[in-house]
Amino acid sequence: MTDNVLIKVENVGKKFCHSLRRSMLYGIGDIARDVLNVDTNPEDLRQDEFWAIENVSFEVKRGECLSVIGRNGAGKSTLLKMLNGIFPPDQGKITIRGKVAALIEVGAGFHPMLTGRENIYINGSILGMGKKEIDSKFDDIVAFAELEEFIDSPVKHYSSGMYVRLGFAIAAQLNPDVLLLDEVLAVGDASFRAKCFNQISNIMKKSAVVFVSHSMPHVAHVSSKLMHIQSGKANYYGEKIQIGIAKYFSSSNIDINASQFSFDSTRISDVCINHDFNRGVEVTYGSDLKITFSIHIKDCHDNPEIQIIISDEVFNNVIQITSPSRFLKPCRIQEQIVEVVLERLLLNSGRYYLTIGVLDGKNGIILARYMNCAQFNVISRKIGYASIMLNGNWSLI
Amino acid sequence: MISPNDKLTIYSAKRNYLGSGNVWKDMFKDIMNSRDLIWRLILRDISVRYRQSILGYIWAVLPQIVTVAIFAFLARYRVFDMGQTSMPYVIHALWSLSVWQLFSSCLLGCTNSLVNAGSLVTKINFTKEALVIASIGQGCVDFLIRLIPVFAVFLWHGFIPSWKAVAIPIVLLFVILMAIGMGFFLAIINLVLRDVGNALGMLLTFGMFLSPILYAPPIREPFVLINYANPFSPLLIATQDLLMGADLKQPILFLFIGFLSIILFFVGWFIFHVVMPRVTERA
Repeated sequence: MTDNVLIKVENVGKKFCHSLRRSMLYGIGDIARDVLNVDTNPEDLRQDEFWAIENVSFEVKRGECLSVIGRNGAGKSTLLKMLNGIFPPDQGKITIRGKVAALIEVGAGFHPMLTGRENIYINGSILGMGKKEIDSKFDDIVAFAELEEFIDSPVKHYSSGMYVRLGFAIAAQLNPDVLLLDEVLAVGDASFRAKCFNQISNIMKKSAVVFVSHSMPHVAHVSSKLMHIQSGKANYYGEKIQIGIAKYFSSSNIDINASQFSFDSTRISDVCINHDFNRGVEVTYGSDLKITFSIHIKDCHDNPEIQIIISDEVFNNVIQITSPSRFLKPCRIQEQIVEVVLERLLLNSGRYYLTIGVLDGKNGIILARYMNCAQFNVISRKIGYASIMLNGNWSLI
Repeated sequence: MISPNDKLTIYSAKRNYLGSGNVWKDMFKDIMNSRDLIWRLILRDISVRYRQSILGYIWAVLPQIVTVAIFAFLARYRVFDMGQTSMPYVIHALWSLSVWQLFSSCLLGCTNSLVNAGSLVTKINFTKEALVIASIGQGCVDFLIRLIPVFAVFLWHGFIPSWKAVAIPIVLLFVILMAIGMGFFLAIINLVLRDVGNALGMLLTFGMFLSPILYAPPIREPFVLINYANPFSPLLIATQDLLMGADLKQPILFLFIGFLSIILFFVGWFIFHVVMPRVTERA
């Protein structure tokens, strides 16, 4: 291998079996053949078998971070476990150069009765560190995990966040050539996550990282390469992170149901976008967005206020539009049709959801909220990293 | 930045076990690299075991003392005929029970080692043999603790072990190797079929009564068959003979079983090494 390629994966596949009983039978057969050294044809699928990972190839060099994204059950963890050598591939070849550290489940192997201190030593030696190495890194581990106060209490009294912090802190001190991370940062508070990403960036300079995550902002933040896996196959592999992410989002066709709740008889209905009642209306980047809906207020409220929130695929709120004060007549039973126009919508391409709420502007009490009442897709020639894509006024001074 | 010293690991679909001698080299290297881990795991098990208990290590000796006390009582009042033991009955029973418990707790420990490790087995790549081997630590420590009441009884009866007793550790090594050898197989099967753990508890109870622990080694036909049917018995009888300084009753059988336990250990280890990756993907 040349050019600092630390991980080389060639046409790798892994098959699993739907039926537990057959899986056992096949397992016995495979083991017998392994022991007796009989040639097998692992590329054939037997009854009830399927490829959990099929024909996947990639390379990761030192200093690169490959993000692997895909829906649940796409085969990401299977791939990572093969990279880690927990089980062998049924197809193809994986070549890894150097010391590997894997965080597939943080805190796997922590003993609940033991203190944090004792668990650091045990977990460290499971991950391949010697006693002296742990001794010298012990203070760094504790400091990184921010657990100075609790290091001598049993880990069963730790919160789940503390658990993850300790687990990550140990693995982060391994100085690996290859680091494998599997969705481990989903727990932990925001400041710790930021710290972890800092640490990953530091490790990345010296090693090759494979990062499995569902959090697209994280993926966009750390990765230099991306692979989107769909039903075991690589649907996208390359350096254009945003295109891979867009493929990931377009691969899921599940629409979230609209749901309305109201606290008095206030109701919102008949929501449409650009005069279209269908969900998934296509809106071109930079064009106008017209939102129309009816609103029924049946009780007296001093200052009813309408809020429209546009959120992205993962329900990060991107835009909020609030009706001007005295837009709706105060203290009156009314039924209105409302139209809002957003000029030059500069959203990144992708799927967006609309939520409309009515609240009493005086005390902030919510009267009605219609969640995900409409959904639209922004179509753009350019795909970017952020939700809002501005042009800006540029000049050279 | 790439140096030829960098460890190169290859995982591929084609695996070759019998064709090359590298398997054994790898296996030995893995174990040597895991010495630290094995030691840590042993320390962990020992320090955890009685952490939430007041009586602590008394629990290691109590069941055995109670069992022997009951049987000594029954033997004295002739409820059961325990046969004529060459050593005083209490010494015979207490010593034999300690050796039996060394075997049974090592075997149980090995069998449950992978199941108890939980997600460690499927989520982290390390030498899994370490889990099995480390699980005998508990049995060995308990055995050493159980020697305290044994020596107390020696003093009480004014019994002085023969100088031949120095050879006992070798016999105990065979006992342990046999337990690990069987444990390698049972640990893997237990990971897939939990019945093994349950069945083993029951089988060990039978095994205890099928070995000359609470009674003298049978000499008459057909009961002498017990000594042959039960691979543990010849080892136990050898320790009894050595303890009192008698000649070995069944030297050939003893050597055969000793040899068998070494073979069993290596076969078990090899099978474990080959089978483990296939089992983890199904566990």
